[in-house]
Amino acid sequence: MSASKRDELLAKLFSPEGKPSALEGIRVVELSISNLVGSMVGGLLRELGAEVVRVEPPDGDPLRELSPYRVKVKGFGIPYLIENAGKKVVRLDLEREEDREELRKLLVSCDVVIDALKPGYLDSINLGYRSISGENPKVIYLAISPYGHFSKKAKEMSNVPDSDLTAQAYNGYPSLIGNPGIRPTPLRAGVWVAWAMAAICAVNGVLVALYERLKSGKGQFVDIATHEALAAVHTYPITVGFLFGRPRPQYGFIDYLVYPYGVFKTKDGYITIATPFDTDFRAFLKLINRWDLEPDWRYAADRVTDDVDRIVELDREIRRELMKRSSEELIKKSLSRGLLPEALRRLVGRPVIVKSYTLKETLSEEHWYIRRSILRVKVNDKEMLVPNSPFRMSETPGKMPIEKIFAQEFLTKEALAAMTSRRDEESVRTS
Amino acid sequence: MSNYFEYVEELFKSGEKRDPPLKGIKVLEMTHYVYGPTVGATLALLGAEVVKVEPVGEGDRFRTAALWMRMFKKANLNYLLVNANKYVITLDARNAKAREILFKLASKADVFVENLRAGLLDILGLGYAHLSKVNPKIIYVSCSGYGQYGPLSRAPSFDVSAQGIIGLAMKTGWPDVDEFYKLPDYFGDFFPAMVAVAAILAALYYREKTGKGQYIDMTQAESLFRFFYDVTYLSLTGEEIGKTGNVDPLAIASGIFATSDGKFVAIAIMDEGQLTALSKAMNVDLLGPYKGRLRTKECISELNDLIFKWASSRTLDEIMSYAKTYGFPAAPVLTDLDVYKDLWRWERGSTIEFEDRMYGKVRIPRLPIHLSATPPRVRWLGRPVGYHNRLVLKKWLGYTDEEIKKLEEEGVIGYWDQSPGMCPPDAWDIDNDPVFRGERDECE
Repeated sequence: MSASKRDELLAKLFSPEGKPSALEGIRVVELSISNLVGSMVGGLLRELGAEVVRVEPPDGDPLRELSPYRVKVKGFGIPYLIENAGKKVVRLDLEREEDREELRKLLVSCDVVIDALKPGYLDSINLGYRSISGENPKVIYLAISPYGHFSKKAKEMSNVPDSDLTAQAYNGYPSLIGNPGIRPTPLRAGVWVAWAMAAICAVNGVLVALYERLKSGKGQFVDIATHEALAAVHTYPITVGFLFGRPRPQYGFIDYLVYPYGVFKTKDGYITIATPFDTDFRAFLKLINRWDLEPDWRYAADRVTDDVDRIVELDREIRRELMKRSSEELIKKSLSRGLLPEALRRLVGRPVIVKSYTLKETLSEEHWYIRRSILRVKVNDKEMLVPNSPFRMSETPGKMPIEKIFAQEFLTKEALAAMTSRRDEESVRTS
Repeated sequence: MSNYFEYVEELFKSGEKRDPPLKGIKVLEMTHYVYGPTVGATLALLGAEVVKVEPVGEGDRFRTAALWMRMFKKANLNYLLVNANKYVITLDARNAKAREILFKLASKADVFVENLRAGLLDILGLGYAHLSKVNPKIIYVSCSGYGQYGPLSRAPSFDVSAQGIIGLAMKTGWPDVDEFYKLPDYFGDFFPAMVAVAAILAALYYREKTGKGQYIDMTQAESLFRFFYDVTYLSLTGEEIGKTGNVDPLAIASGIFATSDGKFVAIAIMDEGQLTALSKAMNVDLLGPYKGRLRTKECISELNDLIFKWASSRTLDEIMSYAKTYGFPAAPVLTDLDVYKDLWRWERGSTIEFEDRMYGKVRIPRLPIHLSATPPRVRWLGRPVGYHNRLVLKKWLGYTDEEIKKLEEEGVIGYWDQSPGMCPPDAWDIDNDPVFRGERDECE
């Protein structure tokens, strides 16, 4: 089959039109007032087809304000729009008894609760897991918070709200980033990595609990700590502690497993280079015409060591060399090696060199629009771009509900009552 | 009810425990490095039976990629972790007999995971079209940098390449320094892997209800795009946010600040309530003078200057105690060693001591998804090249010792050589190892 024929078949197979969603019929109640990470969890579940009901305070959620440099569309900040499109909203004052009763009805009739409020708050108003699981034993109760809902520290820190930056810090991430030769301060990862990782862990917890519930008929408690998830999934911080008994220093451009591996400057831009094996490194030296470096740096053990000063010698040479060349020349040369048959390529090696795009350049690639990785929405006279759901599934594609992005659906108390009572009848019928 | 945290702890410690959630699910994977293997490992920790196929000879090339090139008992400990609970076998996919075995295994699998070059398995006759013919209920998952179709689908990918192609590699750094730093520790592999797990779990749920399998095309790029709000910002303003140092552009004020005792504290103020709390701690009105200007670049930088000065005359402990009293986000900036030693992680069970049959006592992270009734469990670590060949061929396919011996002689299946990363620890008595011989399962 030719590559273009294959492309065509796959594009058809993955077309989302008229397809069902995996989580149809699942109702999620999301409590994440002024806490984006809870909305990220609800946002991903929504893409998989769950009906998500957001509980917001009577005058709206301050989460709307969250946006880089006050950029808002129709009154909403960017993260709020993306994460909450297509969710239903019910405004409740949780300090009022009647409203608590409304929430209770909602919680005892739903499948999943996302509790991203202050740990212990729902329990203190008798709406936590121990208060609702008796009446709703099938409920999956997801708690997401900085330090979790159990352990001494969780209790001690329960008054400290969540943020991605503090979660990065407590996962040890900024200690790894930056160039100590230039500025020896820990450095933040430029995107919301700690919240993203915690959110996807939470989604996996909910999904596996839903799957298990099909068999056991029972729900459970899922506890995610944003200040814990990133380092545990990455595995490295713990293994470094165990194997070496000392932390890794900030490593600048250098990697712990491979050199070169990172972002490099060229004559006219930036590229990323990965040379996972000795053969790839040797091929790289040939490509930049620096075979003279080969004897000293032949083996990975020469290039990958905790002796940073040593690698910096090589790094300086390589960077100087790359500055003489254009990105295009380097990329072209590495691609030509990619055309070799697999077995031969392994033998002679190939550095993987790609352009390090600015976001503008990235978004001008047709690829993302052919695949619908990025969706276009008209707003006023402009075109707004929104990242699509990453769940590219042939039968139950993930769907970013951009058609509802500016149309928040508020649930009136009547609609809410109808929703919870309909559910009651259903459960009576099936039980 | 004041004893909430104790109640939850009790629920996790001694509440009802049920069978592992993915018990009975069979997974076959042809994966290497980090992205694909982490998908299978996560499913295996949740109870799935995972068979990983590696090439005869060197196996998965991640086996030798040990941190600072230092092996642990002749193995790469991080390979052992992203391949924990798996049955590792070898098959030479260029050999017709090996492909026949692969087909037999695939016909019994619920889930198939691969992260080879896009289209490679199609060429080998192991694509979705081929496997779904013998097993229509299969959930077939391809993991790649940029997808199985589209103009960039043939581009090579590592975690750092994917970061580069979607513009993420230009996000981390100081605004006034002409340097860019990749996201360390292979976030571009681990995060997309967890996204792929979510797709698989959703597909399993759907299959349980409808009986239908499907093809899933997961990519590093699309996973990393998902929470990259800069995309939308650029389309609305025509400007790139670019790198912002330690400032979180979603926050009212934020940064990593040096404290008077030579430590660092991260503070991020996400809403006005938290700004009020910080005002109380600093004993300065941070809200009034800035009302109406909050979240502008100038205001962010003015507030950060005030916090910087304040933090430099306070110890880390003082600041953390203010954070607890008044309620604003603050955290110490930990190192690897702090993370490893943090008793909180041990108490929660996300760092554990584990005794492996082959590698002995290790201290390792555990999947940080805490499930009260069906906790994830590490049962064994990764194994040498081809270690479970005999066990899997017997258990899954009912091969006899003679048939297996013939396959070994023909080179259809194979084992490690003495290279580090591929072989068992020194002095491991392989000839008398009943699991290697296929006579006994790992955990019986």
